[in-house]
Amino acid sequence: MSDSPARSQKAQKVLERFAKKLNRQMVGSLLACVHCGMCTDACHYVLANPGDPTFAPAYKADQVRRIFKRHFDWTGRVFPWWVKAKSVYSDDDLEQLKDIIFGKCTNCRRCSINCPMGVDFATFNRMARGLLVSVGVMPEGVAVASKDQWELGNQMGVLREDYLETLDWVSEELRQELGDPNAGIPIDVMNCDVVYAINPREIKYDPRTIADAAKIFHLAGENWTMPSEGWDMTNFGLFSGDDDLGGAVARRLYDKVEELRGKKLVISECGHGYRSTRCEGQNWGGVDVDFEMESSVITMLRYIKEGRIRIDPFKNNKSYTYHDSCNNARSCGLFEEPRELLQIVCNDFREMYPNRAENYCCTGGGGAMSMSEYSAQRLKSAKIKADQLKATGAKVVVTSCHNCVDGLTDLIRYYKLGMEVMQLVNLVANAAIVKEKVTAALP
Amino acid sequence: MSGLLHFSEHTLQEAALIFMAIVYTLRLRWLLRFKAGRERQAPTGLPETSKARGIIYSWANIAMPWAMESTRTKVFVYVQFVVFHLGVAASIALSFIIPYVPKLLELSFFVRIFQIIIGTAFLVGILRIIRRVKSVYLRAISAPDDYFSLALLTSWFFLAFLSVPNSTAGGEWHLIAFFLLTAFFLIYVPFSKISHYLYYPFARYYFGKTMGHRGVYPIKHFPEIRR
Repeated sequence: MSDSPARSQKAQKVLERFAKKLNRQMVGSLLACVHCGMCTDACHYVLANPGDPTFAPAYKADQVRRIFKRHFDWTGRVFPWWVKAKSVYSDDDLEQLKDIIFGKCTNCRRCSINCPMGVDFATFNRMARGLLVSVGVMPEGVAVASKDQWELGNQMGVLREDYLETLDWVSEELRQELGDPNAGIPIDVMNCDVVYAINPREIKYDPRTIADAAKIFHLAGENWTMPSEGWDMTNFGLFSGDDDLGGAVARRLYDKVEELRGKKLVISECGHGYRSTRCEGQNWGGVDVDFEMESSVITMLRYIKEGRIRIDPFKNNKSYTYHDSCNNARSCGLFEEPRELLQIVCNDFREMYPNRAENYCCTGGGGAMSMSEYSAQRLKSAKIKADQLKATGAKVVVTSCHNCVDGLTDLIRYYKLGMEVMQLVNLVANAAIVKEKVTAALP
Repeated sequence: MSGLLHFSEHTLQEAALIFMAIVYTLRLRWLLRFKAGRERQAPTGLPETSKARGIIYSWANIAMPWAMESTRTKVFVYVQFVVFHLGVAASIALSFIIPYVPKLLELSFFVRIFQIIIGTAFLVGILRIIRRVKSVYLRAISAPDDYFSLALLTSWFFLAFLSVPNSTAGGEWHLIAFFLLTAFFLIYVPFSKISHYLYYPFARYYFGKTMGHRGVYPIKHFPEIRR
């Protein structure tokens, strides 16, 4: 980075906003690092790029920390060279920072849980992303997805008519499959027990998951609906660090559920969508919500436990492993329910190691799938995940996250693993017993 | 006892302690000026997780090497950490024992224990310096403060080791040097990385609170596998 004392307008704005973004948690994390290096091996980027210290979590964190030290820390302000404190001056400095905080980190939080000091790098990395985004410095894909979510209400630019048309033909196919004219997807029905929100990827690339969810709701006899608007439960604000976007997107969905007077919001299988909607949206938006929210994984498990749907696990006759989405596992504690569900709907489940909160990122997290400029770096780092997958010997990797579906599909292709990627909703729908076709039932 | 040694053991230490207390108070006041973020959402995760359990688990984490992959897989580094910090605690205790309860150091058993702890910590300090210089990862993240603080602590262990018997038979220089360095520490520490112990409870408290509320802490290890 340049040492020039003249500061660009963007760099100046970043510094001004830095001060406003700091809270006690963040300051604690920025101050507490002792450079012990214990986080180094926790990062999949490091493991895939041995000998390159620029991928080390502490090194990446220091690129943000040195700005903090230069402007807020006593020693850094008086003797910056002593603690490697350094400010940002030029737009080039910001571009270099962008390549680190967007390109070399997926905000997976694995280093955070491995830090003896409790430094939550992922949290202030997201904050730093937000600072850069606020001055227009970001990967192009992040800009496009954010713009779509601001302007069209969903991050993939799906138009209302396309959304409704897709739900319409999914309903039609479901009626044919079940031979039941009452099957289908109810839209904007008031006072339902469940309002179901999805990822726009499901409309655009994977309507199978919508059909499977609709089948499950129908078989469970659920009083449910999908909203015609405000239906996107994903939130690019999580990736871009833009709290304003995060809050606006979350409020849009919360408002729709309240408008429909829904009792519970069920969020389809999506790691970042679940985290954004269930765990972060209220904080970004500064709102409290009155209705319940849950992941569809928990909903499906409950249906089975309550006997509302019955399962034939022999219908899923391959070998399966489970990949924990970082956002689900490390930021929302959702790791036991998917395993419980998976073990009900199939007969050959093989655990992946490490797993749960210690699992490795699919390498497509943190919005990495939308940042094509870093694809080569991402796929190289995916070697760690590929080795993990291969070691299970499973034919199918199941995950509860659309982002992970894309990330895993990409790496499976790249490393020629020959595995299939599925979501729990696919397996539950496939194993669900329709009418009298019973071969086995679980309590 | 010479006037210089008496001054180093008492007046200088007391002044340095008061200075450190004032600086730390100001530092904590500064830290508390930042607003604590609020989590509005309902808790997630398993029922055995909660904010309170998360905080306790987070604080206790450092004493549970099995709880983190980073400590679980680097046992030797973890042992070094323990020894090094025991050495710090023993050396700090020594800086109070010599001036205020010197009779303790008349017990040979006590002297032996302190010398073993501080001596081993000195050796660990040497190992840590080698590691920091040798590792490409540690070099990349190290600032002059990191090297200086480590070298200073290691030197302090050496002087503390010599000072444990509290004997002036061979001269007072080691005791004077130990107390001068201790006073320097008290003044320097708030401005260096060594002050991490002040921030540690904060960072761990908030991280534990967040992870407990989100159902991640306490982490359940060694999951049962269905075969």
